[in-house]
Amino acid sequence: MKRSRAVSLGILGAAAFGLAACQQEEQTDAAAFPDEASCVAAAAQSGWFTREDCAATFAEAQALHAETAPRYESRELCEQEHGAGNCGGDTVAGSGGGGSIFMPLLAGYLIGQALGGGRAMAQPVVPKAGGGYATPTGGTQLSRLNSTGKMGTAAFAKGPTTVGQPPMTRAAVASRGGFGGSAATRSVGG
Amino acid sequence: MDRITLPERPEWRAKAAELGFTFADMHGEPYWDESSAYAFTLEEIEGRIEDPCTELHAMCREAVATVLADEGLMERLGLPRLRWEFIRDSWEAGEPELYGRFDLAYDGKGPAKLLEYNADTPTSLYESASFQWLWYEEQVAARVLPEGSDQFNRIHEALVERFAEMFAPDTDLHFAAMAGAPEDYATVETMAWAAREAGMGAHYTDLEKIGISDQGQFTDAEDRVIGTLFKLYPWEDLFADEFSAHLASAQCRFIEPPWKALLSNKAILPVLWQMYPGHPNLLPAFFADDTKGLADAAHLMLAGHVTKPIFSREGASVTITAQGRVLERATNRDYDRHPMIVQGYAPLPVMGGMRPVIGAWVVGETCVGMGVREDRALITQDLSRFKPHFIEG
Repeated sequence: MKRSRAVSLGILGAAAFGLAACQQEEQTDAAAFPDEASCVAAAAQSGWFTREDCAATFAEAQALHAETAPRYESRELCEQEHGAGNCGGDTVAGSGGGGSIFMPLLAGYLIGQALGGGRAMAQPVVPKAGGGYATPTGGTQLSRLNSTGKMGTAAFAKGPTTVGQPPMTRAAVASRGGFGGSAATRSVGG
Repeated sequence: MDRITLPERPEWRAKAAELGFTFADMHGEPYWDESSAYAFTLEEIEGRIEDPCTELHAMCREAVATVLADEGLMERLGLPRLRWEFIRDSWEAGEPELYGRFDLAYDGKGPAKLLEYNADTPTSLYESASFQWLWYEEQVAARVLPEGSDQFNRIHEALVERFAEMFAPDTDLHFAAMAGAPEDYATVETMAWAAREAGMGAHYTDLEKIGISDQGQFTDAEDRVIGTLFKLYPWEDLFADEFSAHLASAQCRFIEPPWKALLSNKAILPVLWQMYPGHPNLLPAFFADDTKGLADAAHLMLAGHVTKPIFSREGASVTITAQGRVLERATNRDYDRHPMIVQGYAPLPVMGGMRPVIGAWVVGETCVGMGVREDRALITQDLSRFKPHFIEG
């Protein structure tokens, strides 16, 4: 016999909700909303979150945004990463290191079902330059809000605290994205 | 070799969708096409494809050693001199190769002729190793194909075995592709499945999200250090990227190893012809500026010649000429600025109005399976169709 005895068949597909990741992490029900009202409007049909969850997770997302959103040393640098008109001054009074600090506006939030019960999980999302949304670390990306699906639980891991920390400089931003600039065509395979 | 019309599996589109094979149709055209399939004899598979390709890979390894020892040839490959030491070190350290795909012109009569070696970033792995395999198993179950037939497709099992040879159990491997290209992602994820089956930890990151840590190591989108990186992205492009300065010092092992940059390069084709002139599986090949070599070999290229850039993917910037007339010129000219090579023209057979190219997969150092793509055009490009194959019982 010149063929495999067994072959794994499925591929998740890069178009899956959020970032299709290979790691074998647990998946949970998740939904993305631009604001609390949209969440409340969807709560009745959802079956796994309530209006109360919407309010609690939105408040948590706002707090996490203030604490963990990326912070930049200039508006220009922030808009380069998050798009024109999508950045504002630091929302936490007195947190700056003397100079001015800019951060992306809260564009919406993710709500996720806690595995094994308990309070629904929350993460803020901020706009990305060129369209779409991402969690503060950039680890989970969404093409649109008002969407539901399965998502890895790692999407709800809290990002590093940025409040009170020195803002990112241009050099710090450039330390990601140093590969991929030379592809001649969209698909690089042969 | 024959092209045989067969009934399609009634539910294959639903199955493809369920499995995540989202690009079974691409650009509004079918990509996976099982309305017919290619049939081969076992003697043909073993004598014309399998054994010759295992031999071709061994010849390619000899060619790597030859090129690395010859500065003039290294110049010909168009890779930055700053990275030569990095490439050489990977060869001298014996870093093992994982996979590659030979593209062959084969007409069922003469020997298969090597068109090029996709030794660095071959795609169509999912359709070759997995969906084609499923097609075969289901067609046998449906009695469309007879018991006692077979398929040349040990690709998946061979990958699992190769990962287990290359890495200790539980090694964490990162797999990266450019975001937004589902056909590339499918190849990477198929590879990641094999790695996991071999007992490895497999993690995905978009290539563009790779960062660099304070200690100069590469990190994934979640800031985990990358110890081993499978990159579905050509070495020549990595060398041109901003992070290329960190490649040698990042303490990162790469798959494919850097020396594969010498084999995915079309400049290896004239080198192979110099080393093994007249080999039955090679086409005469010369650097485009080698006017003497080309003049001396004119009698070997009466059917015409093909001009190809040393770097190119999916037929881009390829031109076929015969009797002084251009037969076909690829419309995608993205690679025109690169140095060119000239190769003897081996016309693909025409079967059912289509021209098939054999993709023979090498895992480790052995040919372990194949896939067929066919195109109406003389140059197989990104609108080609993938066709399943079987071995007659």
